[in-house]
Amino acid sequence: MSHPPYAPYALTERLERRFGDPGDAARAFSLARCAELDRRAEFPAAICRELDEAGVAAYYVPARFGGAVRTFEDTLQVVRLMARRDLTVAIGHGKTFLGGVSAWVGAGPDQARRVAAEVLGGGVVSWALTERAHGSDLLAGEVTAVPADGGYRVTGEKWLINNATRSDVVCLLARTDPAGGPRGFSLLLMDKRRLGPDGYRCLPKVRTHGVRGADISGIGFDGAAAGAGDLLGAPGGGVETVLKGLQLTRTLVAALSLGAADRALRLCTGFALGHALYGRRLVDLPHAARTLTTAYTDLLIAEVLSLVATRAIHALPGELSVLSAVVKYHVPTSVDALIANLGQTMGARAFLATDDVHGLFQKVERDHRIVGIFDGNTLVNLNAVINHFPVLARMFAEGRADETAVAAAADVAQPPPEFDPDRLGLLSRTGCSLLQGLPAVVAALPAGTPPAVADAARRLCAAAADVHARMAAHRPTARAVPAAAFDLAREYVLCVTGAACVRFWLHNRERAGGAERTAGLWDGALWLEACLTRVLGALRPGPPGEDGGDGGDGGAVYDRLLPELLAQYRGGFLFSPLPCRLPEERP
Amino acid sequence: MTHAIAAPADRADRADQTGPAGLEARLGDPLDPANPLGHAAVVAADERGEILAAGEEMLDACGLNAEFVPRSLGGRFERADRLAETVRAVFRRDVTLGLGYGITNFVAAAPVWASGDAGQRAWLARLLLGNRRAAAAYTELRHGNDFTRNELTALPAAPGFVVDGRKELVNNAERADAVVLFARTGDGPGSRSHSHLLVDMTALPAGRRRYLPRFPTAGVRGCLLGGIEFAGCPVPGDALLGERGGAMETVLKAFQVTRAVLPGVVVGALDTQLRTALSFAGRRVLYGGTVADLPNARSALAGAFLDLLVCDALSTVGARALHLCPAETSVLTAAVKYLVPKILREASYDLSVLVGARSYLREGPYAIFEKMMRDLPLVTFAHANAAVCQATIIPQLPRLAARGWPRAEPPPDALFDLGAGLPPLDFGRLAINARGADGLSAMLAVAADDADPRVAASAARLAAELARLRRRCRDLPARDRTVLASRAAFDLCERYIVLLAAAACIGVRRNGTGFRAEPDWLVGALARLEARLGRRERVPADIEARLTAELSARFDDHLTFDLYARRLAG
Repeated sequence: MSHPPYAPYALTERLERRFGDPGDAARAFSLARCAELDRRAEFPAAICRELDEAGVAAYYVPARFGGAVRTFEDTLQVVRLMARRDLTVAIGHGKTFLGGVSAWVGAGPDQARRVAAEVLGGGVVSWALTERAHGSDLLAGEVTAVPADGGYRVTGEKWLINNATRSDVVCLLARTDPAGGPRGFSLLLMDKRRLGPDGYRCLPKVRTHGVRGADISGIGFDGAAAGAGDLLGAPGGGVETVLKGLQLTRTLVAALSLGAADRALRLCTGFALGHALYGRRLVDLPHAARTLTTAYTDLLIAEVLSLVATRAIHALPGELSVLSAVVKYHVPTSVDALIANLGQTMGARAFLATDDVHGLFQKVERDHRIVGIFDGNTLVNLNAVINHFPVLARMFAEGRADETAVAAAADVAQPPPEFDPDRLGLLSRTGCSLLQGLPAVVAALPAGTPPAVADAARRLCAAAADVHARMAAHRPTARAVPAAAFDLAREYVLCVTGAACVRFWLHNRERAGGAERTAGLWDGALWLEACLTRVLGALRPGPPGEDGGDGGDGGAVYDRLLPELLAQYRGGFLFSPLPCRLPEERP
Repeated sequence: MTHAIAAPADRADRADQTGPAGLEARLGDPLDPANPLGHAAVVAADERGEILAAGEEMLDACGLNAEFVPRSLGGRFERADRLAETVRAVFRRDVTLGLGYGITNFVAAAPVWASGDAGQRAWLARLLLGNRRAAAAYTELRHGNDFTRNELTALPAAPGFVVDGRKELVNNAERADAVVLFARTGDGPGSRSHSHLLVDMTALPAGRRRYLPRFPTAGVRGCLLGGIEFAGCPVPGDALLGERGGAMETVLKAFQVTRAVLPGVVVGALDTQLRTALSFAGRRVLYGGTVADLPNARSALAGAFLDLLVCDALSTVGARALHLCPAETSVLTAAVKYLVPKILREASYDLSVLVGARSYLREGPYAIFEKMMRDLPLVTFAHANAAVCQATIIPQLPRLAARGWPRAEPPPDALFDLGAGLPPLDFGRLAINARGADGLSAMLAVAADDADPRVAASAARLAAELARLRRRCRDLPARDRTVLASRAAFDLCERYIVLLAAAACIGVRRNGTGFRAEPDWLVGALARLEARLGRRERVPADIEARLTAELSARFDDHLTFDLYARRLAG
């Protein structure tokens, strides 16, 4: 048996084998079964039990608390694996990671172990932050916890909470200082079994656009009693813990998008190979083929960014406030667009909800739309980037970058350093080394870097310099952030994605490029050239065949990706620059 | 042009209860939970997968079908732009109803008006005016938009034809008394091998035709999308519509009309989404103020408003061109069908980001937003998808570049004057190839001299872009004029279509009155369109502020957000 060059993929391969071909309707965790549950808006309880039996929950818990997570890459890959089959399952099961994350970043060791034991024992933990009237505005929260009898009395409602009804324990953000403010909220572990059925009330499941089987509901308390020991972390530390926890979850949420994108691209590729139009296979029509290859490129960019950012949880925790926002904005947004673009090629089959293979695409599209909405929506994350403009502009101008840490984030051959939650911060003081180090790296590209790639990397640097110059001119405002700043933040994010690709290539080209299965992608830095062409096209959109848009040669680099895309599809490999075998061969 | 028809504006809000205003009054207050035609009822019907029965009754009562039947045959169809604006009222309320009750009849009827004999035309007119239904049976899923490879056959057999094969995704298949059937009547691969049959379904032997189960869809869930399978089914000889082998040519003409009208009606869906988003933004409090106070939100709302106006301008000009410039509409209507659904879809997505979690809910006060978000994409796929529309234009680009763009005369003012009368629509004059004719794009050069310097500057850049496109398109490689066209050719085509949209906006403003005549919306619209060409400039702040004020005023006064600013119910 071959060892994948990327260790976390060994976990993916093992679990994929266990669950079998998603196209085999007889399998428990098959596409057909998940689609049927979606039609019935039924929670995938049986599938979640199988995941429990497979020990998936251990990948939500850090090893030091008894779980299996030595690198959050494992969490990312496990969630991605579920999302490739069904986002409802991924969200319904993976939510417990969100429920527990506050403990990993903000609780003392004893309490963290208590939460760990809960998760490892199969308990469902939910994370109750949002309220009906306040959404992402956490500081406006009205659920209160008032000191009483040595503990707290909790009153109020949380709404649009994933697994609010099914969970055993709810990690609840409550106002503990009537005056509110950043130190006015605390987290409480509300154990429903201890509260008893009269201690809380679940609000009805909400009917949603996608993930129709998910338990998206709410929970209300009317003076429920919580013990002093149920307080997670320090009193008043709730918001800080939540914001730090969100940095982890916003990074790892990318897994949902990566899984959905893999499925959408796989469905569309299968269709393009099997469907004839004008007497040719769809895949042989250049326009349709280009839609596939640009979607593939978008997926590679999203994956590389996600891998580097996930390793940055360990390697660059102080800068995660930037990177997590970059990932949470870019990956769901670009995958929404990727799915929509593929939908154009699918035609009517993107719209059909039949119970055969043709009905699957619309489900992916509906399901995925939630990823950009929850856990801090698009605008919240762009705002987070904007809040960093001054430090980012300053650090870029000074060329400041923690090179060792960037290398540790980008080089996937080595296990990342151990995660240290104490190094997380609410506002990065060192900006974003990943991008700030780019000019120096591009000035010293290794011999043998293909000229087209070197040229694209230099253009990326020039674009980054221009973006940072404009960021430096931005005047911070508390509330009335001008719309132009959002545009600028989008450009900044594109620069970071490009930098992630360059660094990923530099640090992995020798090892990953040697793997037989993906050699074609690394040969001549093909995947990198495609990704940089795509990023530059988005940064400098222009007429085709001229300075912008497609690299000046009509986007020929995308056409060279098609054989690699088709080989990964047919051979049953994850769409990825690193080889990962799936039980999904389609020769 | 002697039979000019009076403009709707001349008799706006007429008392006959059949125009847009009359329909709107019958639809009633959308927000009234007790209204059987309100948002709550529409959403509930969608949840049940049913077309809104109360809506069908209302449309029966006001005889909506007459909008699709030419006046000469007893109906009210005279003008394509007026048809679009009228049916838009239904789409503002419920895309399912608008499509499932309305437009699908028009799509079926267009080939009959275009190529039917007097008897066939009269028969279908009577049928529609009697509130019965017609279905357009074209699609075979195996072949998608590639009509020339359709397999359903109608072979000559005394006393008519024998039909074998199946049609899929046919709206109202099972409840249509008339079916327009696109059938293979010859063996060849070319464009002369298919014919239309106008089939009276009530007269067919029941054992020879079978209705397929409904096709469930993600959006327009209440539409009765079905199919029909024929097995040795005899069809009388007089069912032949137009000449034998002439169906492709008829399609290329008749679908110009429907391709211009369909996007124009769906503008109504974005109207409702924008109204719902405004309502959300005005009520939702975040970080100590309403969402509507956030500059980014205001910008998104104003942007969607501009997008809506662009869509209306392009589709309205496309519809009017059917009457005034029928030589050019093979290109222009394909442009409408390509760009308008795309802009609507993207605007819908942008608004969904603003509305956030509420855009994902199928319940609560904003559920109609979610429904429209699901319904809208259908317009892209239905009735010629994006690639087909572009493929109509791409082979024509070299000739347009060589003949049309350098020296075309601007089109008549009446093309843009929404209040001006129009000559009758003559299907026979719709050319299936523009042969290089394109007057519309000449508006770019006209506006380069505009009195408003912002318009002039933008138009000058757009005219320069047309010159650049001309160089590229004149020498378009031969391969790009075939089905193997490269992405570069598709990109050139898209840029050209964006220029046509800009030209339409320019024309509408120059010939407008009131709000339409003001430069503000045009400056904003051109900025939005230039962004599609890669320009990074935002809509200027003062323009955005004035558009935001207009938007708020229309919201408060219950006026539509399109070019007409008509009063709404409620």
